Order: sequence, then C-alpha cells, then structure tokens
Amino acid sequence: MKHEDKLRIQAWMDGELAPKEAARIATLIEQNPEALALSEELRVVENALHLGEKPAILDDSRDFYWSQIERQIDAEEPLLEPYAAPGIASGNLLRWMVPVGSLGAIVFLMINFESMNPQPQPSAPGITPDSPASTPTGLTEPAGAMEEQSAEPGGMGVINFQGSQGSRHLTDPEDPNTLPESIENPDR
Amino acid sequence: MAKKLDIPNADDESLVRAAQRGAMPPYEELVHRHRDKIYARAFSMLRNEEEALDLSQEAWVKGWQRLKQFKHNASFTTWMTRICINLCLDFLRKRKRKQTDSLDQMEEESGGVERRMPVEEFNPTENVEREELRAQIDEGMAKLSYEHRTVLILHEFERLEYKEISKAMHCSIGTVMSRLFYARRKLATLLISLKKERQK
Repeated sequence: MKHEDKLRIQAWMDGELAPKEAARIATLIEQNPEALALSEELRVVENALHLGEKPAILDDSRDFYWSQIERQIDAEEPLLEPYAAPGIASGNLLRWMVPVGSLGAIVFLMINFESMNPQPQPSAPGITPDSPASTPTGLTEPAGAMEEQSAEPGGMGVINFQGSQGSRHLTDPEDPNTLPESIENPDR
Repeated sequence: MAKKLDIPNADDESLVRAAQRGAMPPYEELVHRHRDKIYARAFSMLRNEEEALDLSQEAWVKGWQRLKQFKHNASFTTWMTRICINLCLDFLRKRKRKQTDSLDQMEEESGGVERRMPVEEFNPTENVEREELRAQIDEGMAKLSYEHRTVLILHEFERLEYKEISKAMHCSIGTVMSRLFYARRKLATLLISLKKERQK
C-alpha cells in the first residue's frame, strides 16, 4: 500500500476527505486487509487517547494562584490605558477647542450684548458695532455674520459646547466598534 | 437599578460580561473555575509542571487584557484554551530554536519511521485499567517530539481541523497529515510495547 493511501485512510477517519475520495478509501478499506488493519489501529489509538488523557491538577491554592495573576495584571495595567483614554486625535482637538471656544464665547457675548442694548453704550476700545470684530486669533469677521450664527432669539443664548463636541465621539472603551480586531479565534 | 451579580452561582457568560465591564472579582471566579483545565492543556503540551504553571498564569493575564475582544462566539474556556495553546506554541518554538533537532524529527525527515512500523493486530488498550492506560498514554505522549504531540493534542482534544492546525503551527496541511500519522503510529507502537512489557 502506498504511503499516500495510508495518509488518506487517516484523513478518511478524520472526516477530512471530499465525498468522492472518501468513497474510494472506504472501498479500499473493505477490500484490502492491510488498509483495514491500519484503520483499526488508528481507531484504537484515538479511543485510547480519549480514555486516557491524564488529568493535571494544580497544587497551588486558589488564592495563591490568583494572587500571582493579579500581581501581573496590576504590573501590566498601563498597557490597557489606550482603551480608556481618549484617542490622540481627540486629545489634541480638546486641547485647542477649550481655549479657542472660550475666547470665541467671550467675543460672541460682547457683540450680542451691544446689539441687545439700544441705548448707546460706551464701546470696548477698538470695537464698534459697525466695525469688524477682532478675534484673538487675528481673524476678522463682520459682527452681523456672527449674529446670524446665533440660534437664540435674544441672541444671548447659552453657548452649546456639547453641540460642538457632539459630532466628535471620544473613544468609548465599551463600544466594540472602537476596539481592536477580534481574537475570538486567535489567528496566528 | 442593576441587579447585583451572585458571583459563585453565576454562569460563565454572566461572569465574562461583568468582567468585560472591568470588574475583577468575576474574572477571579472564572480563573478558579477553569484553572485546572488551562493548566492541564499547558502541561500536556510542555510536559513540565513549572513551565505549565507559568504559562497558564500568563494565559490568564492575557485573557484579562484581551477580554473586551471576546465576542461570545465560542465558549469562554475554548477561547482561553486557544490563548494558552498559542502561548505554549510560541514558547516551544523559541525553545526549539535553541536546541538541536530531536531524533524523532530526524527520523521523520529521513523517510518516515512510521513507514517501517508494522501494523499491529492486537488492541493495546484491551484489559487495561483506566489508570494504567492514563499512565501509558502519558508516557507515550512524553516520548513524542513537541510537533507530533501538538498536532495530536490540537486534533484529538481541541478538535481542530487539518487546516486550522496548519495555520496554528505555521506548516502545510501535508505536514500536519504526516505528523499526525507519525504521532498516532508511534503512540500505537509505544502502547503495544508497554503492554508486552506488562505481560512478561
């Protein structure tokens, strides 16, 4: 009997052959005593393995075994921080948005304050209702354009910081979509 | 209000879900429940108690770190066993690089000792007590090289297909078939010789 046929007998027993090839090997086993003996031997080994796997039991106490694992987890805990912390891009965005947003809010309030009061008020130095508003960033915008952006009827609304951040989701450690590739069936 | 988890009586899935939210006590309970199984798999592959202990603990650490990636498609123990097997394979590969090839492997490469093994026609497990059979299997497994032992474990105990074993062991399906065949035939020969010794 060829070595290839021996391997196919094994594959047949393991259910790894295509139906046509499986039928050929089944016939071979029926007709060839050597093939039959080999298949019997392989089956005996398989049964022996399932009956005879020696159970291994840990000698360490439950608490001692766990304490060693816990210590290692604690030592390597910083590795997990990227899951909990906002992403790098989000971090940079927040760093700039807070001061820029605050300054924008101050300018916005000052301009709206002017427009809400019909009585002439002493204007802030360098800013008149008809002149473009200066921003700390050096950009200039007409005051009217800024007023149009305000959704509040009185123009003196609460500045919605949530609205500006709402479209930008931070990394959520509980959201499976933000987690790395699955290792459900660890792929080597 | 969320119901408090009764950890000792909770099923594995509830414990895993709680641990995935960051709770450590449910994970500790999972470790207690399945530590012997994970250790046993590590030991069956490494054949060394100390190394098996270290690697089984490392597997639990990795399990905790990757727990959020577990999607509940398989059982938790299957997932943990895979982590443990992967760690053992990495460990054995590293160790093997430092060692010279085993006699078994040289025999396999030089034409296959299994080709010269006669097919025995009596059952080596017949009339053998279970404890004795376990001891014989244990002795036989210890005599196999790690490659042959591993394909046998992955196929017989972890029920992996040839394709999955070839992926795990970084080798071709042909090599998997050949190693599996060699391992089984060698084990059969060892069991028979052990039985003959016993009958003397």
